[in-house]
Amino acid sequence: MTAADADGTRIRSDVPPVEVSHVSVRFGAIRALNDVSFTVAPGAIHAIIGPNGAGKSTLFNVLSGVYKAAEGEVRFGDARLDRMRPFQIAGVGVARAFQNIALSGAQTVAENLMLGRHHLTKAGFLSSGLRLPRATGEGRLHGARIREIAEFLDLGAKLHTPVGVLSYGDQKRVEVARALCIEPRLLLLDEPVAGMNAEETSRMAEAIREIRSALGISIILVEHDMGMVMSLADRVTVLDFGRLIADGTPAEVQRDPEVIRAYLGSGDEDNPADAVAHHPTEAPGSPS
Amino acid sequence: MSEQTIPDVRGRGSRAPGGPSSAGRRRSLLRPLLVVALLVVLLVLPLYVEEFWLRTGFAVFGAIVGAIGLNLLVGTSGQLSLAHAFFLAVGAVSYTYVSGESGGLGTRAALRGLELPPVVGLVVGVLLAGLAGLLFSPVAARLRGIYLGVASLGLVFIGVHLLNTWEPVTGGFNGRSAPEFSLFGFTFGNSDPQLFVLGVPFREAERLWYLGLVLALAAYVFARNLLRSRPGRALQTLRDSEVAASVMGVNVQAYKARVFLVSSMYAGLSGVMYALSIGSIAPESFGLLLSIQFLAMIVLGGLGSVGGAALGAVFVTSLPLVFLQFADVLPLVSAPGEGGIAAGVAARFLYGLAIVLVILFEPGGLAGLAHRFRRRGRDPGGGDRPGPSPGPDDSPTSPVPSDRPARGSNST
Repeated sequence: MTAADADGTRIRSDVPPVEVSHVSVRFGAIRALNDVSFTVAPGAIHAIIGPNGAGKSTLFNVLSGVYKAAEGEVRFGDARLDRMRPFQIAGVGVARAFQNIALSGAQTVAENLMLGRHHLTKAGFLSSGLRLPRATGEGRLHGARIREIAEFLDLGAKLHTPVGVLSYGDQKRVEVARALCIEPRLLLLDEPVAGMNAEETSRMAEAIREIRSALGISIILVEHDMGMVMSLADRVTVLDFGRLIADGTPAEVQRDPEVIRAYLGSGDEDNPADAVAHHPTEAPGSPS
Repeated sequence: MSEQTIPDVRGRGSRAPGGPSSAGRRRSLLRPLLVVALLVVLLVLPLYVEEFWLRTGFAVFGAIVGAIGLNLLVGTSGQLSLAHAFFLAVGAVSYTYVSGESGGLGTRAALRGLELPPVVGLVVGVLLAGLAGLLFSPVAARLRGIYLGVASLGLVFIGVHLLNTWEPVTGGFNGRSAPEFSLFGFTFGNSDPQLFVLGVPFREAERLWYLGLVLALAAYVFARNLLRSRPGRALQTLRDSEVAASVMGVNVQAYKARVFLVSSMYAGLSGVMYALSIGSIAPESFGLLLSIQFLAMIVLGGLGSVGGAALGAVFVTSLPLVFLQFADVLPLVSAPGEGGIAAGVAARFLYGLAIVLVILFEPGGLAGLAHRFRRRGRDPGGGDRPGPSPGPDDSPTSPVPSDRPARGSNST
């Protein structure tokens, strides 16, 4: 929170902290998450990192209601996210951009973005099928906001292009734009720059910074690109084999011996912190 | 960095959506003109063509309604249903019972009917089919793709069994005749009142043609509107990824249940029209084959496309009738009872072949074909935009209703 204040960002007053406490998830005998607890301060960019299989995606699935936690609670203000179904979680202003793009390829960018307005609109089967004024008016009203969000992510010119023909980088941005269309108070970004080139990555990082400063919302970020995480995040939570092994500022986490061990398999490198900081892609030597 | 890139992108952006080219403007005029021309042709057709074509037309209109309904479920939402014949049967039987006369002779028992006006029978038919869909929708909401297909199969067998055994209502094995349609005293029969338009007698076939045209148009417009608005977007997204749809705020179970309801109501209306078209209901008309025929229509026409469903319905429904009519001129095809291939069988061979060809070469079906044709007309030089047809892998209209595992399994 302090870091956010230092940027001169105004945090929205209705953004509560995210409190994850003692969350465990099991798949049969495997513990995908084991007693994980951390807090995301309002308005923070909070990164979650860890080697492959550490439980990052599982955690995201718990936060968005796709998985149910076997134990523990997830609170977002008054809302108990662990007890809600995914569409209800969207209703309290939690939006998620997927890592493996989960857009509707045949629909245009605008149509995909309009889906983000689903919980803000009401038109049902009957009023839509009959084109009643309240259904058509709703569409016009939200169209303007869609355009604004698309332009914010440089998608303004592609609004009426089917998503399936866009480049990979564009599709990733549509993912983020669609999540923004929910008008979230908490934005979950699952590897927003995975597979992007350096230029696209820096543009996305800039966009994430702008989202936070313009909207004053909290952002939780799963990302493998260490350079981006360390420069962007206010706070970093490190998972390994489903356990939380570190939680602190980027600088603290980089020095943490447990983190170094998780990433390098052993702690006797010359300057392991360096290795953590500068490996841009997959965690080197993920534990074997 | 971004200060350099963003204006650059915006610059490109301002050029792309620039005013439509003259070709585009001509096209945007052409389309409504074609629609109007088609409507005019459909409206004046009864003045010129024989009764056979008008009867075929009414059967086609009925099938169009049913195919559009099934396409909403299978093509748009990715939910496979084999129970369409059952919901058609519910509509047809309800209509026959509600508007039929009591006292006719069934196979063993006396027939019963409520003798209410046919319009009431039609509305009740649609509503009861909807109710049947609603009762089944808790199952539909929890299953996906092919699993729903298998579960819905049971309904067809239950339906045929009921048609065979519930004699006072259905007429049993031999079926019963469907009451003539009438609207506020105007009957859709051969007389009462006698009607001549421009010297052409308007009898049952002519009158039913217009009824069918109106109902099919209404079904078409409703579905088009639906797909282009909030529920349609939600359904298309849940077809592509249930997890994504639910995370974006769509109550996936509720939407699956609702689209099943809408689809069964379409089927109910189609069933009423089917009964009117044949003039009677019988158990063998509502078997699994009918469900398969409807699936054939939407696959041929193009999954997910309303217009495609209509085209597929035209093809699949009219083919056997046309073959039958022209059995004596067509090679290899014969009238029933003579040597050679029976007309119905020949038609099935042909649209069986057509389905295989469509799946191999144009997964978008007839609608995809039309789309490709239009696009070629639009930018002959191959334009700067990539072709909007996604590859077959991510094609929304992939021929098999998607049944890929959900990305995050238990979506509650």
